[in-house]
Amino acid sequence: MITNYYKVAEHVFRICSEDELSVLLSNYAPFSCPSSNHVAFALNVSKGYAPDYTIEISQEEEGQEIVCGRTASGEPVFEYCLGGKTAAWLVCSADYRQSRLLLTGEFTKFAIDNALMVLFALATARLQTALFHAAAVSFKDNAYLFLGKSGTGKSTHARLWQQAIEGVELVNDDNPVVRIMDDGRVRVFGSPWSGKTPCYRHVSYPLRGVVLLSQAPYNRIERLQGLQAYAALVPSISGKRWDAMIADGLHETENALASSIPVWHLECLPDEAAARICNATITE
Amino acid sequence: MKIKNGFVLREVCGEKVIVGEGLDAINFGKLLSLNDSAAWLWKAASEMGDFSVDELAAKLCEEYEVSAEEAKADVAAIVDEWQQIGVVE
Repeated sequence: MITNYYKVAEHVFRICSEDELSVLLSNYAPFSCPSSNHVAFALNVSKGYAPDYTIEISQEEEGQEIVCGRTASGEPVFEYCLGGKTAAWLVCSADYRQSRLLLTGEFTKFAIDNALMVLFALATARLQTALFHAAAVSFKDNAYLFLGKSGTGKSTHARLWQQAIEGVELVNDDNPVVRIMDDGRVRVFGSPWSGKTPCYRHVSYPLRGVVLLSQAPYNRIERLQGLQAYAALVPSISGKRWDAMIADGLHETENALASSIPVWHLECLPDEAAARICNATITE
Repeated sequence: MKIKNGFVLREVCGEKVIVGEGLDAINFGKLLSLNDSAAWLWKAASEMGDFSVDELAAKLCEEYEVSAEEAKADVAAIVDEWQQIGVVE
């Protein structure tokens, strides 16, 4: 049995497998850490067969399908499919802290990445932690998040900041983690998941602003307050909101973020002027 | 009638809102903002489970100093709004 420990946003998790998975886990290497008795969650990975389960809901996006359900004894199940083929089944304990991933042998890296993202999001949902679907950049020792539906241009806007503004670096291109620390401060962390851009950085910065992007034939930015800020954050945070425990935890985090972090709406063109206007307004 | 499964009353930045979180409500995609009296009615309705406008109006009269006619008109208006938005059935 091979055991590895990783630390993301100061949460440690453990992965056990019969065979060496280190090649698959190259994006996890920067997050490797010493063994610990206190883990947010643990995952066992092995070859396996379909468990018996009842489907609750299934979500499909860009040829990827995630089917969610429960076994007869109530364990949450996630089935990951790519191009119509099942890559794996993830069977979890009710609190998502002990899980097993049953691989078919197809698309193993896809299965492991997706299983770990889901487990991270769900096992830390009550720990003032949120896994975002966003691009994150750093500027003058602070971090900023860009949100928006798929295809809106989050990555593009992050790249335009890097081109147009000196001292900007990419923190993560697709799945940064935001955590409200014990002292109440909000920090952004890099993660082993970053979409199509390999940007797996074990770094963290204070969160100073969140920008919801939408495409427009002009560049204009305005501040969102209260409910509007909350409504901008919620769709960008991964979760399983029909699980009341998860929904309660995420709501607490989202409400705290909407109350304490400036949230903006940027209507923009995909140009450097948009990056400059945004940067000048939100880093003031 | 009853409140549809999956709709939850939450407090967001000091305001009361209805959000869709359950399996049957996951595609609601909106936040429904409630004033204090609407939020009180929502809580009463969700505790009652199955409810009618008359029953909810009676409950309102028990709690607040309003006439039966006023209570019924207010409750009918808010329940009508909830039906149109699709959070009760």
